[in-house]
Amino acid sequence: MIETVSLASTDEELVARSRGGDLESFNQLVLRWERPIYALAFRVIGREEDARDVCQETFLRAFRALSGFKGQAKFSSWLYRITLNLCRDWIRRQRRQPIAQAPEGVDLLDLASEVTPTESIEQLVSRREVGRAVQRAMAVLPEEQRTAIILKEYHGLTFQEIADMLGCPLSTVKTRLYQGLTVLRKQLASAGMRKYDV
Amino acid sequence: MCDNEQLVAYLYDDISDADRAQVDTHLRTCATCRDELRALRALRTGLAEWAPPQPDFGVRVVRDQQPSWRAWWTPAFGLAAAAVLVLAVASALAHVDIRYGQDGVSVRTGWSATAPQSPAVTSASVVSPASDAVSQLDARYAALDRRLRQIEASAQPSPVSSVRQVSATSARLSDTEVLRRVKDLLAQSESRQQQELALRIAQVLHDVDAQRVADLARIQQGLGRIDAMTTADAVAHRDLANYIMTSSRQPK
Repeated sequence: MIETVSLASTDEELVARSRGGDLESFNQLVLRWERPIYALAFRVIGREEDARDVCQETFLRAFRALSGFKGQAKFSSWLYRITLNLCRDWIRRQRRQPIAQAPEGVDLLDLASEVTPTESIEQLVSRREVGRAVQRAMAVLPEEQRTAIILKEYHGLTFQEIADMLGCPLSTVKTRLYQGLTVLRKQLASAGMRKYDV
Repeated sequence: MCDNEQLVAYLYDDISDADRAQVDTHLRTCATCRDELRALRALRTGLAEWAPPQPDFGVRVVRDQQPSWRAWWTPAFGLAAAAVLVLAVASALAHVDIRYGQDGVSVRTGWSATAPQSPAVTSASVVSPASDAVSQLDARYAALDRRLRQIEASAQPSPVSSVRQVSATSARLSDTEVLRRVKDLLAQSESRQQQELALRIAQVLHDVDAQRVADLARIQQGLGRIDAMTTADAVAHRDLANYIMTSSRQPK
């Protein structure tokens, strides 16, 4: 009898079924978490292709180590931890600070397809420029500060979850976050975006 | 107070109620912290603009297909193979001699067990090990030669031997047949592979064509939107130019 995997199943339920050999349940977890994991990897290392590799490797390692996952932490936290470790390995291998991808030329077709009725093309270009400026500014940050900002700002983890994940005190996470945000403000201001440095 | 850790916790609303109340109280009296908080909030709106690309993932875990050689390679088979190997090595080391004669199967072990007891061997204490080994080989060859001569002498034409001859011929014929069949199978397999390859190529071509059509449609759509925007801009510019022209013609 084929057991159907409900979309409403919790991570814990899917993990339990995966540990029992149900591949479809694990693939459901992959489907659920591949975008956040990719986003995390991309924001930490700043390269699309390498982020994709990290994303795949994350799920591969998770699958292999699933029997060792006892559920002390949330499945997502466990995945994030694997991803961050892989990103660290990648950064060590590169032996340099992660480099934000060079800004590409403005693609009018892409822009035109993204224009919403309430947004002009100028606003969209401006929004994209801000995004690229943020990417470049993030690349300047030390890894610890960047990771803290990414986990808090883009993944909504609590300070306690970040502290547990990074293995550092709660106050250290807050300090790293504050210092990183301060550097970002200066970077964006120097890039001509004064409105972010009020 | 001016506690940056508290401020950042307040910024992300990841703070206890008591600490939030304390920061609220502080903000009422500290303009520096108020400005700082306003700047950080503005910064967060900028951070929200950094969106990662959205690639097509397709990461899926599939059950591993074991290669054909692994299909029959079971632990039991491995143990049996290991046992045979160990037996073979042990036989070589122990120099096991297995003979099948009229009195049945005889098994002997040991390097010196078959050494002929000749005067030359008796005086082996003064002969070098190399010459000892050569003499043993000579004795074996002599024994083997005697055995072959006995077999040849006892060989007589008989119905049994003719049957064996026929059997050997048929075996050779069956080998030829087997080879022919193997060749046939290989030819069939190659034919199937070629057909499959042709099918795959056709599928790829079909996919590429479909993608091209989709891309062209997307480009067309984008051009249409740009055209619409450009037209709107042109109309606005024309209206503006008309207005300026009309205004400039009016007497002051």
